[in-house]
Amino acid sequence: MNDKNKLSLPSKLNVLLVEIEQHKTTPIEVSLDPERYHIVRVSHSGLSLLKAVESLEPDIIIIDIESPDRDMFESLNQISNSKPRPVIMFSEQDDTNTINELVRLGVSAYVVGEINKVRVKSIIDIAMARFSENQLLKNELKLTKEKLSTQKNVEKAKLWLMQTKDYNETQAYHCLRKMAMDNSQKMDEVAKNMLSVAAIFEGTK
Amino acid sequence: MKQKKFETTNLNIGFMPLTDCAPLVVAKEMGIFEKWGLAVNLLKQNSWATLRDKLHSQLLDAAQMLAPMPIASNLGLGCAKTDIITPFVLSRNGNAITLSKQLHQQVLATLVENKVSLPFAAGHLRAVIKHRKLLGNKLKFATVFPHSCHFYQLHSYFINSGIDINDIDIVVIPPANMVSALASGEIDGFCAGGPWNAMSVAQGIGFTGVTSVDIWPDFPEKVLAMKSSFQQQNRQTINALLAALSEACSWLKSVENRFEAALMLTQKKYLDAPVAVIAPSLLGSCLTLQNSEPRLVQGYNSFTRDVSGEQNKPLVQEGLKILEHMTLCEQVSPCEDSRTDSILISGIYREDIYQQAMAELDAKKLVHLKQPVSDKVHQNS
Repeated sequence: MNDKNKLSLPSKLNVLLVEIEQHKTTPIEVSLDPERYHIVRVSHSGLSLLKAVESLEPDIIIIDIESPDRDMFESLNQISNSKPRPVIMFSEQDDTNTINELVRLGVSAYVVGEINKVRVKSIIDIAMARFSENQLLKNELKLTKEKLSTQKNVEKAKLWLMQTKDYNETQAYHCLRKMAMDNSQKMDEVAKNMLSVAAIFEGTK
Repeated sequence: MKQKKFETTNLNIGFMPLTDCAPLVVAKEMGIFEKWGLAVNLLKQNSWATLRDKLHSQLLDAAQMLAPMPIASNLGLGCAKTDIITPFVLSRNGNAITLSKQLHQQVLATLVENKVSLPFAAGHLRAVIKHRKLLGNKLKFATVFPHSCHFYQLHSYFINSGIDINDIDIVVIPPANMVSALASGEIDGFCAGGPWNAMSVAQGIGFTGVTSVDIWPDFPEKVLAMKSSFQQQNRQTINALLAALSEACSWLKSVENRFEAALMLTQKKYLDAPVAVIAPSLLGSCLTLQNSEPRLVQGYNSFTRDVSGEQNKPLVQEGLKILEHMTLCEQVSPCEDSRTDSILISGIYREDIYQQAMAELDAKKLVHLKQPVSDKVHQNS
C-alpha cells in the first residue's frame, strides 16, 4: 500500500546495532526485515566502534540507552565532522512518559523491551522521518539567521542614510534599492559596502 | 524544633561511578540525608549523555554533573535547550593525564637524563608529536565527554606548552573503557578522573605525570545540578539537600574519614573497584608509575574550598572561565558583549541559592547552640 513512500527511500538501509550483552538485542535483530535492512552487529566498544561507524556509514544507529558508548556518539557531531545520523535508543524500562520526553529532547526514537516485526518497521520509518525533519528545521534556522543578519545590514545602512543625508525611511530604502539595481547587486551587499565606507569616514572625522 | 515544611522528601539523584561522587555516597551511607529529613535514592548511571537526558526529562530530580554540563544544557549544546542550574559545587580537582607506558618510554628515550621531573611538562612530548605527525599517525588522547573540564584541561595542557592542538587527535571514550583502550594501544593517553588513572598505573600500563591541580588548581569539577523549575517548586527540600551535602563535604575534610569514604565507594552499587585504586587520590597521593613512589598532590580530590562562606559555592567567575574555554575550543561562538555572558552564567551558577541555604543552616546551628537539650533530642529522633 505504501509503495509510493517506499520509493523515496534507498533500497536497503544500513543499520548499526550496538549491543552490550549479546542476548539483549536479538529480538530487535530478528524483527528487522532482511529485505529492507542491512544489519551490522557490533558488540565491541570504544574506538573500534567509532571505526565501525566510519567504515559502515550507517543510515541509522540502534543502541541501548544504558550503554556507556552513548557519550562517544554524542561527541561524533561535536569533535569530528561526521555526518549526523538518526540514533534509536532501546531500553527495558517501560514508561510512556520517558519515551515521550526523550523523543521530544531529540532522540529520534525509543524502543522499549521486546518488539515485533510490524512495529519495528514503523519505528524506524518514524525515526528516519523525524530525523530528516529535524535536519530541515536546522537548515531553516541557519537560513533564517543569515536572513536576519542581512536585514540588520540593510537597517543599519538605512539609518546611516537617514542621519547623514536627511532622508526619510522610504527615501533611504529607495536609495539602497536603486543602487542595488544599478550595480546588479543584492541589497545586503550594497548595505555592507555602504557601511564599511561609512566606517572609514567615521574613522577620519 | 520548628522546621519549615518540605515540598517533597523523596529525591532521585543520579551519579556516575567515579571517586568524586564521594559526597553523595557519604551523605547516603552516613545517614546525613536522613538526618535532614530526606529519603534519597542514588541511581548509578552509565553515560553522561543519558544522565543528562534523564535529568532533562525529570526521570532524575537532581544529578552529579560535570561542571560545564549545566552551561551546555542552557546553550543547547548537543541537546535541547534546558534550564539547568547548579547551586552547589560537589568537588574540585580530581583529574589527571595518564600516558601509555610505551609513550612514556619513547619520551624517556628522547631525554638525556632518562628521567622526567613532575609535574610532567607537555613540552617533553614535542619530539614524539612531531615524529608521529610525520608518520601520519598522530598521537591520540582520549577524554570523557565533549563538555567536560577534562577536555578543556587537556587543551590547556598542550596549548600552554605551545603545542598546536591540531597536531594531536582528541577522542571521546567512556571512562570505563579508558584503561582497556590504553592497554590495547588504541590511545596514547587520556585525561580522566579517579579511579581510572590509578587503575592504569596499578595495572602497569600507564604513567600519570600531571594532575588537574597542576593545570587548573582548585577548579570546580563536579556540581549538583537540577532543573531550575524543580528548585523553584522545592525550595525547602533543596535547601535541606544542600545542607546535607555541605555536611558530607565537611566530614570529608579529615584524613581518617577519607579512608572510610574510600571503603564505602568500593561497594558494588557504587564504584565496584578495589580500595587500592580509590583511596590514594582521596588521601592526596597520586600513583605515577608502577613500583615507583607515589607523588604527593595536595588537594588531589577536594570537596570544599578553604574560603569561609564559599566552601561549596558555585562561583560565577568560574562559570565564566568555563564559557571562555568552550569558546576557545570552538564549541560556542564568541559573544560580543561580556555583560551578556555574566547574566547567562549568574543564572546557571546560582551563588544566591547556595548562600540562602547556608544562611538557613547557620541559623539552625545557632538555635541548636542555644538549646543544647533539644539538639540532642533532635539527633536521637
